[in-house]
Amino acid sequence: MTGGGEAEPSAARAVAVALAGWLVPGLGHALLKMWGRALAIFLTVGFLVYLGAGMRGNVFEPGGEDAFARLGYVADAGTGSFYFVARALEISGSDVSHADGDYGTRFLATAGVLNLLAALHAYEAARGRKA
Amino acid sequence: MVPLHFSHLQSLLLFALVISLAFGTLGRRKPIERVKYAAWSFAMFVLVGIALGWLMYPFSR
Repeated sequence: MTGGGEAEPSAARAVAVALAGWLVPGLGHALLKMWGRALAIFLTVGFLVYLGAGMRGNVFEPGGEDAFARLGYVADAGTGSFYFVARALEISGSDVSHADGDYGTRFLATAGVLNLLAALHAYEAARGRKA
Repeated sequence: MVPLHFSHLQSLLLFALVISLAFGTLGRRKPIERVKYAAWSFAMFVLVGIALGWLMYPFSR
């Protein structure tokens, strides 16, 4: 096997770690035994989702009518499984007619983008790069 | 769940605090560097947020 072939399992593992980190915030770092970062990511993303849903932010659904809605869905879906938690928490639906709801929408989107950033960080760490 | 209500400033502070802590944790390795980076990030979030708020104030009505 060549040197390039030997690197493949490591790349596949890194992708698996990143996917795990996306699905469950912090899991990617937990698999790498980076416990502090795993806990911080889990709590941060979870707290932002809780705040966003509590403030009745907009949880975007797939197939939005405009680019903003589609982009919003991508950001919200960045929270992985927490996307469904947000939808479950928001039993009375979103209300962006007040500032609270508008802030809530940003909190939810930030949670998703932050989780994607964390998943990328876990990927880099799994590849052995400085992270 | 019980609806949460925050003022603009409370929302800004909460957002800045949570994101700064996450940035500090992800972005630095040594504990002291994490604290410094989180504090700097928090200060920048708040200061820039308030500055932008005042910049937009003349156009708010």
